[in-house]
Amino acid sequence: MSTLFLAQAQQEASRAEVLADDPWWLVLLKVVVLFAFGVVMTLFMINWERKVVARMQHRVGPNRVGPGGWLQSLADGLKLAFVEEIIPDGADRKVYWLAPVISSTTAFVGFAVLPFGPKVTIFGEETYLQLVDLPVGVLVVLACSAVGVYGIVLGGWASGSPYPLLGALRSAAQVISYEIAMGLSLVAVILYAQSLSTGDIVDAQQNGWFALLLFPSFVIFVIAMVGETNRAPFDLPEAESELVGGFHTEYSSLKFALFFLAEYVNMVVLSGFAATLFLGGYMAPWPISAIGDGYFNTGWWPVLWFLVKMLAFLFFYIWLRGTLPRFRYDQFMRLGWKVLVPVSLAWVVLIAGVRALRTDGNVGSTEIVIFGGAAVLLIVLLTLLIPERKVEVTDRIPLAGSGFPVPPADLEVPEKTPRQLALEKAERKRKRLAKAGAASTTSSSASADKEGSDDGDA
Amino acid sequence: MPDTATAASGLGTYLPLVLLLLLSFGFAVFSVTIAPLVGPKRYNRQKLQPYECGIEPSPQPVAGGGRIPVKFYLTGMLFILFDIEMVFLYPYAVAADAVGMFGFIAVTIFIVAITIPYVYEWARGGLEWD
Amino acid sequence: MDLAQGGPATALGVPSIDVAAVLPLLIVFTAGAVGVLLEAVLPRNQRWPAQVALSLTSVVGAGVALAVYVTGDFESTTTFRAEEASSGALAVDTPALFLWGTLLVLGLLALLLIADRSVEPGGAFVSKAALRGGAAGGTDTLTKEQTFTGMQTEVFPLTLFALGGMMTFCAANDLLTMFIALEVLSLPLYLMCGLARRRRLISQEAAVKYFLLGAFASAFFLYGLGLLYGYAGSVKLADIAVAAQGTDRSDTLLFAGLGLLAIGLLFKGSVGPFHTWTPDVYQGAPTPVTAFMAACTKVAAFGGLLRVLTVSFESTSWEWRSVLSVVAVVSMAIGAILGLTQRDVKRMIAYSSIAHAGFLVVGAMALTEDGLSATLFYLLAYGFTTLAAFGVVSLVRDSSGEATDLSAWAGLAKRSPLVAATFTVLLLALAGIPLTSGFVGKFAVFEAALSDGMAPLVVIALVASAIAAFYYLRVVVLMYFSEPAPDGPAVTVPGVFTTTAIAVGTIATLVLGIVPTFALDWASAGGFVF
Repeated sequence: MSTLFLAQAQQEASRAEVLADDPWWLVLLKVVVLFAFGVVMTLFMINWERKVVARMQHRVGPNRVGPGGWLQSLADGLKLAFVEEIIPDGADRKVYWLAPVISSTTAFVGFAVLPFGPKVTIFGEETYLQLVDLPVGVLVVLACSAVGVYGIVLGGWASGSPYPLLGALRSAAQVISYEIAMGLSLVAVILYAQSLSTGDIVDAQQNGWFALLLFPSFVIFVIAMVGETNRAPFDLPEAESELVGGFHTEYSSLKFALFFLAEYVNMVVLSGFAATLFLGGYMAPWPISAIGDGYFNTGWWPVLWFLVKMLAFLFFYIWLRGTLPRFRYDQFMRLGWKVLVPVSLAWVVLIAGVRALRTDGNVGSTEIVIFGGAAVLLIVLLTLLIPERKVEVTDRIPLAGSGFPVPPADLEVPEKTPRQLALEKAERKRKRLAKAGAASTTSSSASADKEGSDDGDA
Repeated sequence: MPDTATAASGLGTYLPLVLLLLLSFGFAVFSVTIAPLVGPKRYNRQKLQPYECGIEPSPQPVAGGGRIPVKFYLTGMLFILFDIEMVFLYPYAVAADAVGMFGFIAVTIFIVAITIPYVYEWARGGLEWD
Repeated sequence: MDLAQGGPATALGVPSIDVAAVLPLLIVFTAGAVGVLLEAVLPRNQRWPAQVALSLTSVVGAGVALAVYVTGDFESTTTFRAEEASSGALAVDTPALFLWGTLLVLGLLALLLIADRSVEPGGAFVSKAALRGGAAGGTDTLTKEQTFTGMQTEVFPLTLFALGGMMTFCAANDLLTMFIALEVLSLPLYLMCGLARRRRLISQEAAVKYFLLGAFASAFFLYGLGLLYGYAGSVKLADIAVAAQGTDRSDTLLFAGLGLLAIGLLFKGSVGPFHTWTPDVYQGAPTPVTAFMAACTKVAAFGGLLRVLTVSFESTSWEWRSVLSVVAVVSMAIGAILGLTQRDVKRMIAYSSIAHAGFLVVGAMALTEDGLSATLFYLLAYGFTTLAAFGVVSLVRDSSGEATDLSAWAGLAKRSPLVAATFTVLLLALAGIPLTSGFVGKFAVFEAALSDGMAPLVVIALVASAIAAFYYLRVVVLMYFSEPAPDGPAVTVPGVFTTTAIAVGTIATLVLGIVPTFALDWASAGGFVF
């Protein structure tokens, strides 16, 4: 696989070289098209999401503005420009202003490294359908999604209001937690592509998608991707039922629109990123790729495959939102730190070990499978030996400081309150005294009454 | 990629990326500047209050001298630990075939060294949210 | 793709590692890591025995590995090196091995002090690190959690990590390794300072002070490292030495770099004007930790300083010697004069350590074989003495914990003659009275300095030790010739661990004072290799 690519690379100029030779007008064209693509995809996604979710709930969804209601989000966006902008009194105005700018700016940059297609000719100029092919392309996408969090955190902080602050904190914790899982899941891909360049990663999948070869990584990446973009079922930062609107509660007008834009552009970028890393990028899926000696892998066709794969991921986002309830925060963090991180760590070590054995140790695949299977079996058996351990409550530092008295689960609730009992007793005593007063005349009834009151006390 | 790096070396490679950044930055700045100009202004003191249910805001936002639960700091520190791990794993992954078995053993030792404090934090309840 | 084509082990060289040479290091670090895991998996009541067993065994094991390596066909070497390079990251040479031996022995004694649970019920460490003190100043009222007899057993792995960092620091052959070792040894110490069971607030204050100032010192070190890299184009000590010999490069970079580097190192050794953290931290930290810091950190810091000065800057010694002389004088003066005014035993020993650091700098500046061996011996002798002294300090207690105020020590000889006698021996050693190790150490250092033409400095050092001797003797007088206060402190009868530590420290002080030849021979067995 790699030798094939090397042979190609020696014959022709490499992807990065071709892209570096792009004339300025072509670069500008690509930049503008990418930007427009982001905006249009956002408008489309909002509508599509509303329509699909509506169908899932047996509704129709937006159907008034434009043909089939497809211009609804455009109208909403335009409206946002003409509503009053409110900046709350407690806000830190500079940061408040900066936050949506950071959020939406960084969201777009990820598009730059996504390969939309192979070599094509635009107005007589040979080029790749990609803005730049950086040797650190993967890191650019990761960096952009990480820097985007600054927008959210600063926005929530600068609002000077409790709900946005909580939303921002949650968002920060969430994104950094899932960034670990996402980053670790990428290690396997990089290991197999032996490159951080998105173009090389696509090329490395000519013989098989990484989604099949590195299935655990794929699953982890998709989960982390949803967590990273703060989407349902992981949309805790903007949990309406708990935090009103989360970090953008205090935002209105176009500043709010920018946050919205950033969220959807992030989704689009990460979907394209996932398609690039795991689904063979712009390359045609298997039965189609075999037609006509790879005809559908040339020219402008690959853009179609890329868009289809990307839209598949986007549909998955919508599907999740329509189907799953929101996670509770502790469940969410537990999933991230206690499931995804250890699993991806173990998977990385496994993959790296197999790779090292095959390249360096002259060990064949069969031996690896046999010994690996034995090792896994051994580990599984060993884990059975670990006794269930109770969590030591005494060791935990009470961080939240919830000093509320909580009744034990097996608390026996008395039928009557102490006050009621005391009242009854007093009542009986009063009656007894009254009767005793009466019995002083008739001694025969007094003893019987005494017995009765003793029974009552017992 | 040594070959590509020599051909398209230097920061010039990043120029298109910077252009895209500038375009989106310009768009964002334009949007936030234009919004207060084209939108209406109907002053009402109540609108400028923080969004709350009528009671004194709780917890106080940081800008007002409030505090942030220590859990978030703990998560932040753990993140840095693992982020550094990732930063070291990427170069290894790129050069995995070149460094072979020795590299794998070295990286495994490194991962184990990171995993030990992770196990510790897990066992001591540092990953619990309640 | 080029890398992939190149095949294994051509693009990146596989470093050669002499495992036998670094085995002591590996044992200590592995034990530290295992200790962390034990903390994670063991139930609370089993942690203390497991940790104590593990850390003591590992330190002893590392010592055995060191002994085996030294008695075998040992040759000074550097290790962790790529094939084509001449020197590696670690230099395992005679001074390094001597320092490792010193560190392991002192570390073992410090671990014994740390592990002790007889003097203070439950040990000197708090059961939960997050606990705040009681009243302001944090002296007395113990909360329920504080009286709970568990302890933060994390202190054992932390000690091992610090010890491993110190050992690496002594043997580091390039500045980057040295910096990492510096951090590895410092960070656990910062934490351990804040873990005292009593006087929580002072303890936490000590930890924060030490951390902040230590972070500054690390930054200075790193900045100096950067400048030296700019000067020599390498962080290897040997390369810096080569670059410093006869080039027309800017000396500004070299000396600015050396200056900043030296500040970082001198800070750790609590020398001279960089000592400000020492009294507060020594006072606030739990006494076993103070003992560990006073003994082992000093060994590591001066081991590193000796190596840097000898290996990298020997050829430029004319330029920097005068500056370092001033530092030494300032350190001795501060230690001797400010020590006079102290009312607290721990602070007094802290100032004494500053004075001793001044003497050590004098030894380290004499870049001769004699100077090296004398300084190494001095470190060994001082380590034993100060460790035992802090051990004794932890024994004199009243209801609020350790009675460190000097007035409480009045007439101690009448209450407990043995403790008073032991402390007297240790104080005499710190003062440098003959027949104790302190005298031999000072004698060796001053002799080396004299023969290297530093007579004025030696005179000043003699004056400083005479002044310092006054406050040591004052304590002796106080213990023997004063009437004990009626509500004075009691002397706790220590358990096996503390007894062993104090006994070994005291006996070593005497042995090194009476028959020092064998240790001096070890210390002068060879020089640095790079």
